Amino acid sequence: MDTKAFNPFRMAQEQFDKVADILNLDQGSRELLRNPMREYHFSIPVRMDDGTTKVFKGFRVQHNDARGPAKGGIRFHPHETIDTVKALSTWMTWKCSVVDIPLGGSKGGVICDPHNLSAREQELICRGWVRQIAYNVGPLRDVPAPDVMTNGQHMLWMLDEYETIHGKKFPGFITGKPVGMGGSLGRTEATGYGVVFTLREALRELNINTAETTASVQGFGNVAQYAIELYTQMGGKVICVSCWDQNEQKSFSFKKETGVDLDELRSITDRFGGIDQAKAKEFGYEILDGEAWLSQEVDILIPAAMENQIRKDNVDSISKKVKVIAEGANGPTTPEADEVIHKNGIFVIPDFLANAGGVTCSYFEQVQCNMNYYWEKDEVLSKLDIKMTSAFLDVSRLARTKDLYMRDAAYIIAINRVAQACKDRGWV
Amino acid sequence: MEIKGNQRKYSRENRTQTFDFLGKGEPGGKAAGLVKIQEILDKQLDQTEDNEIAVSIPRMTVILTDIFDQFMKQNDLYPIALSSSDDAFIAHAFQKASLPPAIVGDLRNLIAIADRPLAVRSSSLLEDSSAEPFAGVYATKMLPNNQQGIENRFHKLTEAIKFIYSSLFFSDSRDYFDTIGRKVEEEKMAVIIQDVVGNRYGDNFYPFISGVGRTYNYYPMQNSRREDGIINLALGLGKTIVDGGTAWIYSPKSPQSPPPVNSNKDMLDNSQREFWSIKMGEIKEFNPISEIEFMQKHSIDQAEEDGIISLLCSTYQYQNDRFISGIPERGARLLDFSPILKYNKIPLNATLKRLLQLCREEYHSDVEIEFALEKSINVTSGKPDYHLGFLQVRTMLALTENKNRICADHPQSEILAESSSVLGNGTREDIFDIVFVKPDTFSAVNSRTIASEIAQINRELTRDKRPYLLIGFGRWGSSDPWLGIPVTWSMISGAKAIIEATLPQMKPDLSQGSHFFHNLIAFGIFYLSIQEEIKKSIDWNWLNTQKIITETEHVSHIRCSHNIKVIVDCIENKGVILK
Repeated sequence: MDTKAFNPFRMAQEQFDKVADILNLDQGSRELLRNPMREYHFSIPVRMDDGTTKVFKGFRVQHNDARGPAKGGIRFHPHETIDTVKALSTWMTWKCSVVDIPLGGSKGGVICDPHNLSAREQELICRGWVRQIAYNVGPLRDVPAPDVMTNGQHMLWMLDEYETIHGKKFPGFITGKPVGMGGSLGRTEATGYGVVFTLREALRELNINTAETTASVQGFGNVAQYAIELYTQMGGKVICVSCWDQNEQKSFSFKKETGVDLDELRSITDRFGGIDQAKAKEFGYEILDGEAWLSQEVDILIPAAMENQIRKDNVDSISKKVKVIAEGANGPTTPEADEVIHKNGIFVIPDFLANAGGVTCSYFEQVQCNMNYYWEKDEVLSKLDIKMTSAFLDVSRLARTKDLYMRDAAYIIAINRVAQACKDRGWV
Repeated sequence: MEIKGNQRKYSRENRTQTFDFLGKGEPGGKAAGLVKIQEILDKQLDQTEDNEIAVSIPRMTVILTDIFDQFMKQNDLYPIALSSSDDAFIAHAFQKASLPPAIVGDLRNLIAIADRPLAVRSSSLLEDSSAEPFAGVYATKMLPNNQQGIENRFHKLTEAIKFIYSSLFFSDSRDYFDTIGRKVEEEKMAVIIQDVVGNRYGDNFYPFISGVGRTYNYYPMQNSRREDGIINLALGLGKTIVDGGTAWIYSPKSPQSPPPVNSNKDMLDNSQREFWSIKMGEIKEFNPISEIEFMQKHSIDQAEEDGIISLLCSTYQYQNDRFISGIPERGARLLDFSPILKYNKIPLNATLKRLLQLCREEYHSDVEIEFALEKSINVTSGKPDYHLGFLQVRTMLALTENKNRICADHPQSEILAESSSVLGNGTREDIFDIVFVKPDTFSAVNSRTIASEIAQINRELTRDKRPYLLIGFGRWGSSDPWLGIPVTWSMISGAKAIIEATLPQMKPDLSQGSHFFHNLIAFGIFYLSIQEEIKKSIDWNWLNTQKIITETEHVSHIRCSHNIKVIVDCIENKGVILK
């Protein structure tokens, strides 16, 4: 796997350039939109439990906020790079735009590995991150959210620090908070469910009965688990999931031809989504190589783990049976692999559309925070479904009428909306 | 019946189908019946006679049973549902739960499109099966669906669905399952969301006519046979009839014949005076766990104000002591549907006869149908058009007639009670206990209290597995306390023989409440109706000399030293109870 050569930001720019050509965007718009508007780098000193001080590297990138306050998660990952954060902030702009919510795009991160940090150390990183950026983020500027290896508890520490600095209550500063502390019901499920709402529409369009399909899923974190849950409720059968093994520092695939049992797997999964191999064997799962999820004889592939997972070197292992790829993760497919998938006629629900359920629900959370009135779960999820379905239909309609690849159609809609907002504001 | 494939799946972009489904399980008895009827109607459409009204199934969406399973599982509701908690506690727990994510978006879309009031109805696996008499056990909720904003309407719809789900676990339902020796966990619930048939009149929405038709008449009147069937018609929502309220009853073979009554005054006293509508105006009370949250009862004067009564009634001419059809002058109105039934102003009877026949042929069995009629103005002719909405069909349990004559003459001294109008056939000799409403202190004012006193005694007798004879006044199972004792089925579930008697202050037409009757027959309970002078036809003196087990203000429970004998002959239509 040629990971060193992979630069996600370059990939995001290539995607943008392609669409900018189709849209015939002017030079000013291109310059503005192919780079982030603001980029913050800072150091976060933390007194560790052993008494030493460690300095962590933190980022916040605000790609574009023409359509509203920027919105994006905060990732804690040992392999975090500024280019990854820049790419992800760009995709956030397109994601908010494609589902037509009034927000821009941003992303943040800290280079750290929470697996090796105590709760106290993680709290200090969260508070340190906010102290460095407190005057450049906020409910009307840039709204953070949980992302890779961050959760509601991290958000609450950050909120508390932010409110302490500003001396006021700002529940809308951050989303992904626990329910009862300004969080929204349905937020946990939103991204995974959103993937399946769009998948359902894709299958309907292809005239495929969900109940007669099988799927293979990469990842067993939050997104993957809820995607499996809803897809199974709709009658589909997941036969393979893969996940990262923290002890062995590599991933494995878990296969059961009769269909994985979500409750069973959840009962043997650690808090980071790692499945216990020994227990899985006892439950009758076949343990396979980490990439085996990709080569399964299924109708649907759901990459719901990390970026850069379907590449030129492994794309050919995708079975001829696969009809749909629903990208639950951000940037799971490289442009080279994408070309092959496109050529093979596989229907792709692009990442920033398929996984936009999370940010859509975050937007709902903000709305609720602003009203200080919280909706029932039925209300949240029904609104989410309508929003996701309508976004999918917009994209697929354009793809059909203009004979475009789904990813290109989604980018055209998203970029066009942002470019228009920049024009309307008189920026370009 | 299992729904397969995408053919009838709910579609947000194209809701032109008469019915569609959400989920992938089963539709339940009620919905399956309607689907079958739609197929029959489609086949018969070309053959519709000119002199008939257009018939169709109101548009409906069915939430299939797998969604109920998901709802129960994802909210972990079974521990509460099966905890024997009171109904309100269970209902509130269900209200707090969330519906499965697979359907909420579709429901939101549905409510955004729906432009008329909706009925949210149960359609369980066991409901409406002739073998299992579950009719009427579960809740139905009417929604005006006119609240401001999709949010509010969606919220009301989800509340209604959860309420219907919770009604499976209410005490009435649980008692019911106990009675038939099954477990409530076996049941699965589908839900029908259906357009309500009717028209809006100011702040009310109701059908012009609602009714129940049966191909078999349990109580044939003069000059009619059981096989002729029977039709009940009422103004307003069908709740009046299914709850056993007062309606106009006639034989479809002779729609012009009035029911046998002693006088015109009796006819007026025993005719429909009130009707149900859906409240379209401001709702003052929030109560998602009430079946009638959005329903309202009115005097028939309201319908006259709404200008729709002229085809539905006759007017009493005091000076001539007679009724004249329609409302040509002021006077007391009798809801006898005479312009329709006598003068055929709307060809309703012909349509109903044909529908009943079609259904009987299709089901190879006697059937009961529910329907409602709405009015519209024909754009071309400017004249009113009528449309009959077919709401339900279920097979009836006909009486199995026995060729043995079992009613011999018995000496008067041996007879506890006698009846010339009965249901059931055979002899029962295992009854020692009798529960009766005291005739001397009886007043309709107390009928709700009486119902709860009987329920308490029933609980004890059922627990001790002692069958009993129940004697009371007016219409058993009526929801109207002024017409009879408003028991639900579970409140008298241990009774194996029932006497329904009249008193001077309470003498409505005897029970034809559809759900109640269905249950009586399904459970093989002997039913004796006594419309004669009560003092003579029941030996109260003998009853008063028996050992009292429980005595409340209005009800006595006695135990005889030896068994009584109940003999019922449905061919002769006679019954006798021997001391």
